[in-house]
Amino acid sequence: MSPPRVTGGPADEVGRLVPDVETLAQRLGGVDYLVDEGLATSMYLSLRLPQPLLLEGEAGVGKTEAAKSLAAVLDTPLIRLQCYEGIDAAEALYEWNYPRQLLSIRLADSSGSALREEDLFGSDYLIRRPLLRALEHPGPRPAVLLIDEIDRADDDFEAFLLELLAEARVTIPELGTIMATHPPIIVLTSNRTRDLHDAVKRRCLYHWIDYPTPQREVEIVRRRVKGASPTLAVQVADAVSRMRDSDVQKPPGIAEAIDWVAALSVLGIERLDAPAVDRTLGSVLKYGEDQEVIRAAGLEQLVRSGE
Amino acid sequence: MFGVETVELDLPALAGALSRRLRDAGVPVTPERSADFARALALVRPMTRRRLYWTARSVFVSDQAQADGFDSVFFSVFGDAGVAGSEHPSDAPTVPTPADERPTSDRRSSTEGSMQSDRRASVASSPPRAGDEDDDGAEVGVPLAMASEEELLATKSFDALDAYELAQVYRMMGRLELATPLRRTRRDETGRHGRHVDVRRTLRGSLRTAGDPIRIARRRRRIARRRLVVLCDISGSMEPYARAYLQFLASAAGSGSNVEAFVFATRLTRLTRALASRHPERAIQRAAAAAPDWSSGTRIGDALKAFNDRHGRRGMARGAVVVILSDGWERGDPMLVGREMERLSRLAYRIVWVNPRVGASAFSVRAGGMVAALPYCDALVSGHSLQALDAVADAIGAPRGARRDASTPSLQAPPAGETEEREPWASATPVPGSSVAMPSGHGPSRGHTTPGWVTDGDG
Repeated sequence: MSPPRVTGGPADEVGRLVPDVETLAQRLGGVDYLVDEGLATSMYLSLRLPQPLLLEGEAGVGKTEAAKSLAAVLDTPLIRLQCYEGIDAAEALYEWNYPRQLLSIRLADSSGSALREEDLFGSDYLIRRPLLRALEHPGPRPAVLLIDEIDRADDDFEAFLLELLAEARVTIPELGTIMATHPPIIVLTSNRTRDLHDAVKRRCLYHWIDYPTPQREVEIVRRRVKGASPTLAVQVADAVSRMRDSDVQKPPGIAEAIDWVAALSVLGIERLDAPAVDRTLGSVLKYGEDQEVIRAAGLEQLVRSGE
Repeated sequence: MFGVETVELDLPALAGALSRRLRDAGVPVTPERSADFARALALVRPMTRRRLYWTARSVFVSDQAQADGFDSVFFSVFGDAGVAGSEHPSDAPTVPTPADERPTSDRRSSTEGSMQSDRRASVASSPPRAGDEDDDGAEVGVPLAMASEEELLATKSFDALDAYELAQVYRMMGRLELATPLRRTRRDETGRHGRHVDVRRTLRGSLRTAGDPIRIARRRRRIARRRLVVLCDISGSMEPYARAYLQFLASAAGSGSNVEAFVFATRLTRLTRALASRHPERAIQRAAAAAPDWSSGTRIGDALKAFNDRHGRRGMARGAVVVILSDGWERGDPMLVGREMERLSRLAYRIVWVNPRVGASAFSVRAGGMVAALPYCDALVSGHSLQALDAVADAIGAPRGARRDASTPSLQAPPAGETEEREPWASATPVPGSSVAMPSGHGPSRGHTTPGWVTDGDG
């Protein structure tokens, strides 16, 4: 059976805020994050079970944004841990404040007062890194902990996360086990540069975020770029979806579509045509080869309407 | 507990039944997941099939590659009208699963349908063996190799081995050690002569000496082996070697955690997971079953492109040693091979191309794909026999900068306009009854017998 999970106060608080999937989807929409039913259900379950949520998908489909929006909906802080190769406990969980410890030793020395080891390794000297901050978040609602791009960290680090993911607690040798009063809502994202360990996956809910449909993308773009003309949003969504179908190395994500519309709006362009694409292609395609592919296929093809 | 007034289904029973079927379909389901599913149902109280679908999928699917298997089970249990399709087309889960990770059953029926049935027919003609699981009998049947016999085998080309010899070569291959070059990681470890002071440990130690840090603890950067990525050609022209190379992949995959293995002919199949096992024979059976395109035509360019797009660019090839086992016969556009090799060479630390035909005396680079790929290879080695595999291991372990082996025969491309020699195995159909055909265990339709251990073969 599953390990005992903390229920009671904080869970009720979250439950009151998002009683069902529809409400969650609505509230996410309220902070300009549009979800389809699959993602909404996953996020809802992650909040209510509660269980960490592992999000995968192409770059730029809004994995990180999902966690941010969740924090906004719950009105709690978002605590973000960006993973990278070599990240370890000192950077993710805690570190001792050595200069301060040294200073205290000197002070105790000169004033002749007794200093015990426990004094030096107390919470005054503890530097809290993201994971610990998320665990110690005082509430009333749990913090959202975003562990971003976990696939970049090495697999030792995954093993280190297991205790946190499953039981919302960590062990610090000098202090003992720290148990969260309000277990954080944990969102992990991965770009699949390597397979995550099964032990991690087993503890998480999983959702693959796909590219949105053109209609939804228009909606997203219009919400994100205030003042963009509706025609432009439709045309960009259309062009971007054509790019995804074509033979490019790095298909543009939603983030690129938003950037593109923003760039076009700044230039005062209301309608997308070949010269406009030509000027701004760099904001949506970031590889020289990809730009060549699209240019070779014809920029007119990209912006033609209909079908 | 489950709000029985509104929900008529027996939820725990439903969860149990669905889990069981999913497990049968290859989606890993633990009792813990089933319990989670029951709780998720109680929370979400799905009133529509669509909602039920997403609830179940959130809980049970832990990788995009499992989505197809999940879908087929779900729709077979609950019917497939409109969950993802007609009702709400806008939200259809249309994720194109990376082709290499789809369950094999989907792909059987694809373009190679006729070829597949050919294979199955030829495979079925070899009698089924009892006790396939462990192959105890076969193991007993093979005597321990004598030293002189080993020496003989070491130089024999892989395509000239009979089933009995192959089994011995497999065993000897297990001793082959592959070590990629080292690189410095960002992670520290304790080291007496390290460059950085380990403040934490120094300070702890200083408490023993009244706060004076007398002994300085140090840390240094940990050194790790580079990732090894092996791409093996299993097309028709490589068939006699592919069975030996699969064993090579298995021992490579078994040699460390940081190895990725792929095979390709017309498509790219990732074998890392299939090969990750402590039982090499079973790993090979699983791997053979996972790849659907044994001994069909070669599309090196497409395979490399698929690798670069799906895996390499995302980081798998970055700083890695990439080994390509192929004879370079390309049925597609050699230009594409060149382009994709260039992309790969920008990502990888080194590229080692293993071409068994390099071992032939009259070898010159003629195969179109090989010509296109050569400028981007750091080493071209033969690897046609066990002894030659030593050279492969050396090439894998060599540091960057050591460009192509000088010892390899003429590497110049043929003069322009010269007609290319024809690929000897141009047909996609394996030669029936031929001794170079894959041992029955390699067939995708039957992953039962251990390759090369078939004692009643014609070898």
